[in-house]
Amino acid sequence: MLELIDIHKSFGSNKVLKGVNIRVKKGDVIVILGPSGSGKTTLLRCINFLERADKGEIIFDDLHVNVKTASAADISKIRKKTAFVFQSFNLFNNKTALENVTEGLIVARKVPKAEAIEIARKALSKVGLSDRENYYPSKLSGGQQQRVAIARAIAVNPDVILFDEPTSALDPELTGEVLAVMKQLAREGITMVVVTHEMSFARDVANHIVFMADGVVVEEGPPEEIFTNPREERTKQFLSRILPPVDDYVI
Amino acid sequence: MELDLKFMADTFLLALTGVPVTLGITAVALLVSTPVAFFMAISKIYNVKIVKQIVTAYVSFIRGTPVVLQILIIYSLLPSLFNSIIKSAGWNINVFEINPIIYAFIVFSINASASLSEIFRSALLTVNKGQLEAALSIGMSPVQAYTRIIIPQALVTAIPNICNLTISIIKGTSLAFMMTVKEVTAIAKIAASYGYNYIEAYLDILIIYIILCSLIQFIFGWLEKHLGSYRILTGAPVKAN
Repeated sequence: MLELIDIHKSFGSNKVLKGVNIRVKKGDVIVILGPSGSGKTTLLRCINFLERADKGEIIFDDLHVNVKTASAADISKIRKKTAFVFQSFNLFNNKTALENVTEGLIVARKVPKAEAIEIARKALSKVGLSDRENYYPSKLSGGQQQRVAIARAIAVNPDVILFDEPTSALDPELTGEVLAVMKQLAREGITMVVVTHEMSFARDVANHIVFMADGVVVEEGPPEEIFTNPREERTKQFLSRILPPVDDYVI
Repeated sequence: MELDLKFMADTFLLALTGVPVTLGITAVALLVSTPVAFFMAISKIYNVKIVKQIVTAYVSFIRGTPVVLQILIIYSLLPSLFNSIIKSAGWNINVFEINPIIYAFIVFSINASASLSEIFRSALLTVNKGQLEAALSIGMSPVQAYTRIIIPQALVTAIPNICNLTISIIKGTSLAFMMTVKEVTAIAKIAASYGYNYIEAYLDILIIYIILCSLIQFIFGWLEKHLGSYRILTGAPVKAN
């Protein structure tokens, strides 16, 4: 469904992505792991052109673009098929929760207002925030804001939802709220690409792990493989720092 | 010191007839300069190659010269300039019968546009870049993102500064009398010149301007509260009970 081919991106003299390939199938829950600076967030942002990659191709269903020559129309098409959930929520501060969710429908997709409100209400109830629909973001907690952001993403019914460290700015309790919503979405078969440090989510919910370091994909595979039997040294090094140590059994 | 109170009262009412002129010049200056200032601000933020340089030079020049001088130069230059344009175009208009308020509109619009462009630029910069990114990610076009999300938020931040500018223009129009425009100061000074009651006239002018500016501050205060209701305004931490 979505494929990134040989993506390169530099910021000035800093080479962040050095030839990355990713394939996303419908229904996949892909978790991208890696140390800071490995290019995970940049890769995600290249998908919907929040950053424009320097080189490479993006294939999205029947849309085939070269990132250097992609037109505004192509970018707009891609953005209408994707949704992005940010680490810092980025809710529209001057709109209520309900308006945040209907904005993309009414303005970007020309959905009639009554229908948009209905869709928005369903999305908000899915993330458990029906009673907060008239609250402004300044009156919502971090976990609530992020859940509204997720409702905003699912309301537009995208082909794939991109999550950029959605729980990194939240405390463990609020993190749990948000992860629960994401797990529910995964169960319903929504395609997700998630950059996160939440290993339990990666292990339990993902069906494919991509480990990145220094701008390249070091290793990828199903969670069982990556977490219990990593092949590459760099992967082992990263995982050993975050996973609890497994005792060595000697017979 | 004896104040001629009857003269003060009469002149006060007389000077009030100049208030519409004062407010008119201010309003025209602000309305005309708003779209211009907005595009100047955008060109600076987005580093639009040649335009940015022109804008920077323009703003620097206008802000770096006293209003008095701008008025004198424009009032001396423009009529002759218009005259030569009209003569060469063959139109039959007497330049010297143009209502001098037009020149006031021009001077104060130019002045306002320079300050306003910096006000807009700083206000736009206060809006988190993430707001624009979220709007684009949702599928909105840049124009939609700006008009629906960014500008409303920037405007609220700009209100105190726009209030400053408005008051500044209102006070600046007191110099328009140099262009024979009959605004508040002009009327009061002319009335005073008959009997040399300058002190009373000056006090009247003072009172009128204080009332006008207080009104403006009140209106902008209300605007800020109303338009900014979505924000948490107080910086003070909540007291623990």
